[in-house]
Amino acid sequence: MKKDKVIIKTLVDNNRMSTQELLQLITSKIDDGYTDFEIDACGQHNIGGSSWAKNRNEILSFKIKNPGQRVGAMALSGTKIIVEGSAPADVGWLNSGAEIIVKGDCGDTAAHCAAGGKIYVDGRVGTRSGALMKHDPKFENPEFWVLKNTGSFAFEFMGGGIAVVCGYDCGDLNSVLGSRSCVGMVGGTIYVRGPIDNISDCVQVINLDDSDIKFLKEGLNIFLSKIDKIDLFEELAEFTDWKKIIPLPSEIKEKKISVAEFRKNNWVEDGIFGDFVHDDFIVYPMPATSDGRVHIPKWNNENCIDCKLCLNNCPQNAIFQKDKNYISDDNKCIGCGICEAVCPKSCWIMYSNRRELT
Amino acid sequence: METVKINQLHMDDLPWIIEYDESKCIQCGKCSAVCSFGAIKPEIEKRKNPSSNLAKPSYSKVLVIKQQISFQHHCRGCGMCSRVCPNGAIKAVRNINDRYSVRYRAAKADSLKKGGRSNLNTEGRTLDKIKIGRISQMTDPSLDAARHEFELRTPFGRILSADKLGFQLNNDNIELSKQLPPNRWIYPIIMGDMSIGAISWRMWEAMAIATAYLNEVMGLPVRMCTGEGGIPVRLLKSRYLKYMILQIASGHFGWNRIIQSMPEMTEDPAGILIKIGQGAKPGDGGLLMASKVARYVQEIRGVPRADLLSPPTHQGLYSIEESVQKMFLSMNAAFNFRAPVAIKVAASVTSVSVYNNLLRDPYNIVGGFFLDGLAGGTGAAHEISLDHTGHPITSKLRDCYLAAVHQGRQGEIPLFAGGGLGQTGSFAADAFKLICLGANGVFTGRLLLEIAGCVGNDVGKCNACNTGLCPAGIASQDLCLTKRLDIDVAAQNIVNYFIATHMELKKLMGPIGNSTLPVGRSDALITVDKNISERLGIQYAC
Repeated sequence: MKKDKVIIKTLVDNNRMSTQELLQLITSKIDDGYTDFEIDACGQHNIGGSSWAKNRNEILSFKIKNPGQRVGAMALSGTKIIVEGSAPADVGWLNSGAEIIVKGDCGDTAAHCAAGGKIYVDGRVGTRSGALMKHDPKFENPEFWVLKNTGSFAFEFMGGGIAVVCGYDCGDLNSVLGSRSCVGMVGGTIYVRGPIDNISDCVQVINLDDSDIKFLKEGLNIFLSKIDKIDLFEELAEFTDWKKIIPLPSEIKEKKISVAEFRKNNWVEDGIFGDFVHDDFIVYPMPATSDGRVHIPKWNNENCIDCKLCLNNCPQNAIFQKDKNYISDDNKCIGCGICEAVCPKSCWIMYSNRRELT
Repeated sequence: METVKINQLHMDDLPWIIEYDESKCIQCGKCSAVCSFGAIKPEIEKRKNPSSNLAKPSYSKVLVIKQQISFQHHCRGCGMCSRVCPNGAIKAVRNINDRYSVRYRAAKADSLKKGGRSNLNTEGRTLDKIKIGRISQMTDPSLDAARHEFELRTPFGRILSADKLGFQLNNDNIELSKQLPPNRWIYPIIMGDMSIGAISWRMWEAMAIATAYLNEVMGLPVRMCTGEGGIPVRLLKSRYLKYMILQIASGHFGWNRIIQSMPEMTEDPAGILIKIGQGAKPGDGGLLMASKVARYVQEIRGVPRADLLSPPTHQGLYSIEESVQKMFLSMNAAFNFRAPVAIKVAASVTSVSVYNNLLRDPYNIVGGFFLDGLAGGTGAAHEISLDHTGHPITSKLRDCYLAAVHQGRQGEIPLFAGGGLGQTGSFAADAFKLICLGANGVFTGRLLLEIAGCVGNDVGKCNACNTGLCPAGIASQDLCLTKRLDIDVAAQNIVNYFIATHMELKKLMGPIGNSTLPVGRSDALITVDKNISERLGIQYAC
């Protein structure tokens, strides 16, 4: 274990170290037992990511100036990163446990896909920040703290974790989450202070409860001391200014009135053909009885020999005898024509039941 | 002895044969009860019993279901009998030896008529040979169909090029020097174009309800074309009129009530569609068989019960110029130049000339060009027209679009294409491909009937829309049949289909990276057919 600090200057005599050279230098120093790095970068990417101290119990720490993209991308627990100033896109991309402090603004997609660790930003973050954040229940909830605001499309497809957007120094911005944020969000929580506009309809914006306030009070204290702005606590800890955003449960998303309800409640009363006919909107089954029949039987007694074949073969038991007459009960008869078929004397004749709207 | 003559109609002459399994039949009578064509009936069949006495044969009587052999009562293959049979004892089977069309003409000295679509799809579907082959990947990001914000609306109405807008400077303000032609931004799928009479009042109202619902609950600005069979006064006076495109065709049916209602209208209609021709039977007028001219249809159209044959052309229009002057001007004037007026023609070799003429019209009063291809449906047509006249939609739409492009005037008169869309099951894909080829939108009618419950198909199943005996209650005016149609289910199904189509359109827009309608983006299309590639000017792939 070597305690002294490794100081790397990446631009010497106008010669710039490439990203590969820098990252391999860091790795070799880590292999030698070093854990404390101060890097004067020149836009090199992926600094602080996917590395761990030789002794896993030790903290690997990076102090970085002027980094390139993906500071702390794929970083593990036990890594602490401080960026002195702003950082470009993808800070903490796929962060799996590092603490990353950016003392300035972040580019786009900060904390993108972060599933562990804590990211503290002393400024603004760009578009799609916090998108696809996740929470694996076997690990600690990831946290993403932003002092000012996010760009548009933030927190898209968020599946877990906690994000806090403090809305500080946002002047007359009409939305501290930009436009169309939280599209496809299915999990996690966002706390936000300040106006929100044109947010996705798959989330709900609700008021804080006591446990939220407790979390924010403790968290703000830590966040503000990490970015050396504890004096803002009073201003930010006015919790009536805050809202909480969580995904809308799927059963609420689905709720639309049915077309049947629409017809009954909104549509022209009695239907647009109501001046021609009062449609009862009854639906005839197949087969149907009475008015719903396509064919209807009619009986005449001229030739009847009272053989009872019709009565005994009617599948609906619709035929009965009254005095000397055979009668078909309209409420039972489906108009199948079996009475006509079995009658040896053609007393039953089937007729079309075609009728029109009158 | 009972005998037959060779020219007597026989089961073997008919397009469908009833296959009946007596051993499974429980004589419940449901099949014959529901058959709206009277094509099956219970009958007594005589059977011989085994007997030892040659001199005294013994017979028994068996109750069976029998197919009826007649021109009027022949089976159309709708299959209602097998739907209601509890035992699967009966079904209609296609007769491969069918000689019906010969026998009918020979016996009746009459042309064959039917509904539905052409059953003679000899050329196959061009749209099925086209794929969306330009997918944004590393070149530019594709969009997430489920979550990205898409703008699907399309203009309905005349668009003027920038130099014709007539802006002028008044002090320091830019002002319009003249009234612009009316224009509405609508959903790119227009439904309907089917008349009251051709379809039942329940089916027509179901479409109107679905339209209102899609607008007011789903936020999709879908418009419905009324077809030319009149419009219920209650609808004309309601606020839902704003979703309706009123149609005027060569029969001019129903316009008396439309005009009478004008003082009481609270909304303008969505537009007016002047129907010159129809893809299913170009050069032929509307045909409504007397069996469907119910009393309310007589009233709303102002005619007695009779076969209603609309003239094949608009009488009094003898040239395109005259059409513009009389029809377009009058229809624009009817709603004080506030409602866009469009024209619908059957796709034809001459369609481009018509389109070019309209593009050049100096009064800018044509607000849409609807092209209807030969695979369109109809309530009734002579089979000869249905099967042998017409022009496929795809190349003609492309021709019209490119004709406008060559003048730098694409989009000035929005193009809408229709005719057989969704025929092979993928309406959104058909719509999308036509839009990529230059359509601003599409229209559909027949598909809506299938969504509502039509049991027919394009290979001869049912197709009896002309008879008024529609077993699904869609193309009938009969109480006992129309009331089989559940208006709420029909409307809900249409709504659901539109929601699904909306998702699917976005599912195609996303991958090609368009968040607005890809009108004319033929670079997104490929085809494995060299001829199609050459004709449409899209990339050949293999």
